[in-house]
Amino acid sequence: MLGSIIIGVKMTALRLQDKAITHLVSFFRKEWSGALLAILILSVAIEMVTSGKPFFHPTNLMTILNNSAAIGVVAGGMTLVILAAGIDLSVGAVMGMVAAVTGYIASYWGIPAWMAILCGLVLGGLIGALHGTLIAYLGMPAFIVTLAGLSVWRGSAHLSTGAQATPKLPSTFDLFGRYNPFSGIREQFQSGELTGVMETFGAFVDANWMGFFRTFQMSMIIFVVFFILLAVVVSNMRLGRYIYAIGSNEQGSRQAGINTRLYTLYAYVLCSMGAALGAMLFLGRAPYAKSDYGQMWELNAIAAVVIGGTSLFGGRGTIIGTFMGVVLIKLINNGLTLAQLETFWQMVVTGLIILVAVGIDIVRQSKSAIKVQQMLGVVAIVLALFAALTPLSALISSVISLHEHNSMMAMQNAGAKMVSYQYSRLLDETGVLNLHTIIADTWMLSLALLALVAGAVFAVIKLNKTLSYAMGIVFVLSALALIAADMAAAAPLLILGACAITGLPAVPYMFDRARELDSANG
Amino acid sequence: MKMNKLIGVIAAGALLSSSVYADSIGYITKSATNSGWMMINQGAADAAAEAGVDLVTVGPTFQGDLSSQLEVFENLLAQGVNAIAVAPVDSSGIAPAVQDAMDSGVAVVAIDTGVTGAKVTSFVATDNYAVAKVQGAYAATLVNDGDTIIYVTGNQAQSTGQERRNGFTEAFKTARPNSEILEVPTEWNSAQAQEGVEAILNARDDVKMVANAWDGGTMGAKAAMENLGLSAGDVLLVGFDGATDAVEAMEAGWVHADTAQMLYQMGYQGIKTAVAASQGKEVSARIDTGFFLVTPTTAQAYKDLVGIK
Repeated sequence: MLGSIIIGVKMTALRLQDKAITHLVSFFRKEWSGALLAILILSVAIEMVTSGKPFFHPTNLMTILNNSAAIGVVAGGMTLVILAAGIDLSVGAVMGMVAAVTGYIASYWGIPAWMAILCGLVLGGLIGALHGTLIAYLGMPAFIVTLAGLSVWRGSAHLSTGAQATPKLPSTFDLFGRYNPFSGIREQFQSGELTGVMETFGAFVDANWMGFFRTFQMSMIIFVVFFILLAVVVSNMRLGRYIYAIGSNEQGSRQAGINTRLYTLYAYVLCSMGAALGAMLFLGRAPYAKSDYGQMWELNAIAAVVIGGTSLFGGRGTIIGTFMGVVLIKLINNGLTLAQLETFWQMVVTGLIILVAVGIDIVRQSKSAIKVQQMLGVVAIVLALFAALTPLSALISSVISLHEHNSMMAMQNAGAKMVSYQYSRLLDETGVLNLHTIIADTWMLSLALLALVAGAVFAVIKLNKTLSYAMGIVFVLSALALIAADMAAAAPLLILGACAITGLPAVPYMFDRARELDSANG
Repeated sequence: MKMNKLIGVIAAGALLSSSVYADSIGYITKSATNSGWMMINQGAADAAAEAGVDLVTVGPTFQGDLSSQLEVFENLLAQGVNAIAVAPVDSSGIAPAVQDAMDSGVAVVAIDTGVTGAKVTSFVATDNYAVAKVQGAYAATLVNDGDTIIYVTGNQAQSTGQERRNGFTEAFKTARPNSEILEVPTEWNSAQAQEGVEAILNARDDVKMVANAWDGGTMGAKAAMENLGLSAGDVLLVGFDGATDAVEAMEAGWVHADTAQMLYQMGYQGIKTAVAASQGKEVSARIDTGFFLVTPTTAQAYKDLVGIK
């Protein structure tokens, strides 16, 4: 009786475990899982360090989406070109040119704003057609054609508008940006024009204005709708399938009867039109139109596409991945600003996060248990290193300051001439004394934590079950030691590290089980 | 024999061409598209026309590109200009090139941004640090002690950006020690300013003022306020530069103070000094082109002064 219950519980546990493994595997099969994972980790980290409204507050998330819209649409177009094994370096310049010209003719030529917008989109299409023709029909390398385009279109934009800012644009442009579909209802409610159901709805909008509706703007709506449409086109229509085919094997596609030239041309036209639509979305939130908009956007767009798991060699990737990539980039900007991280650190951290997202993707593609174990191990090592940095950074910076002070003294004695601010590395006596105290206080703990890092490296190289568990215990003990040494802030890092390193032996089991489940399900 | 003739011809040609360029001044600007820089460039062009010299104007391919600036610097030297007026994108990066020019007897006038690590003939600029202190002190009078404000920085790898930030922060903190200053870092890019200000204004409702290191940031902050449905005056804006659009925004009630550099004067005085130095005249080593504190009451006087209609 008891035995059968235990077996039953075991069975349920096994079934649950199998389910979890299946879900995990199907998640990591997605191209965009790296970006999504990075978004989640980053969001939680930012949430922990920011004050004020929570980071996960809907209005903040919508603000991120609003500001992702313009670059997002540009990156969406770029995805098509990269899927077709091409590249478009001109998107930033095209975006800037379309923004400048559209704003210019809407402001100075007196034509209706919607006409100007139409002209802008057509201009984008024509530029794309030119690029596409040169690339697909004349066989010029995409890199060169669009690199030339980057320069030509930026220059033309400056030339045609005199590089001057336009006055504030007509309100039609707001429909691509800051226009809020609920603002009318709110105003009507506030002036008491609504009755019945609409009044209740108006009251609801008004009451939740600051908490939700304020940032519900057209930018975000267009951004999301655009990506849904693009994803449908790419996965369900001939255009999308042909672009994938051209990207993975152009020769083969041509032999299979696909008009590869025409579809390559289409990709570039859509990409430039994406840049043009991006210009409209940007104008909807910007103070005026100007020809220097969109500088370096080509790099951000390419970064978003690659972070989203699309291969730079073409043929593999998804639209939704690019969506995640764009959101990740903007989330980094938004979050690091809210966290008030110092400027230069922001640059470092931005690069590292991108590296992590792409790293996850590479490991994901390798489909090997050892690679995953190594990555988990690296996570544990890095966490231990970060924990070690708490005392270590104080130690290192003190040692360096002391060394700089000494060598400054030496240089001064040798008679070197220097500008005044370069002397700021010289310290007074109390400064030197303070440094000595810091060094005396931290060197033992630093060394101990470095030993922990070395141990973790050893455990990851060996990938031995007992060693992993032992290291997990050492991690936990070190965390306790850190708390005792008044550095509790770093302790959670070690606890996370302990989880990662004790999880190492479970990975091959999960892989085996996943394979069994796969073959069982046919 | 033939060779000698050839050299003779080349030498004659070189002599001729150098006499053609006898009165040419090289002017290396930081940007041809930034509205503030366009005013400086206008001043430079006017001064050259007035002095009857040939002004060879060149700019970097994009704002902040040191390598292209170094390259044009060397090209100008090779062309044999009599003096170079330069707005360095990097104070110490440009120093070796400046040193070379000074050693070969070509006068170098630094405009707007100074050179660290090499002597220049003259440095013509607003004292950014001093003006930023005025900006910070005046901004402090607009809010109460304890109010939170945002400061939109310029590029913190450049002396202009550093001096403006330090000057503002020091003066503001002295007057309002309990206020918190949230920073939005930018590289002189108004889109970064707009996004950052929008993020903070949306996340916190206790921000009373946005102060900016340059007026591109001011216009970005204004767009951020509009994007969040705020009206003029809900959050005070304080600018730096006295750019036309910011002064217009002041009249509409958005901007409440702006420390204007005399941008046109900077370009004008810079080229005047370069011309004087190239003719062997004695010039002052530091020329302060001054500033103007624009407030709603002094806006009209400022517009008259710099000729904004």
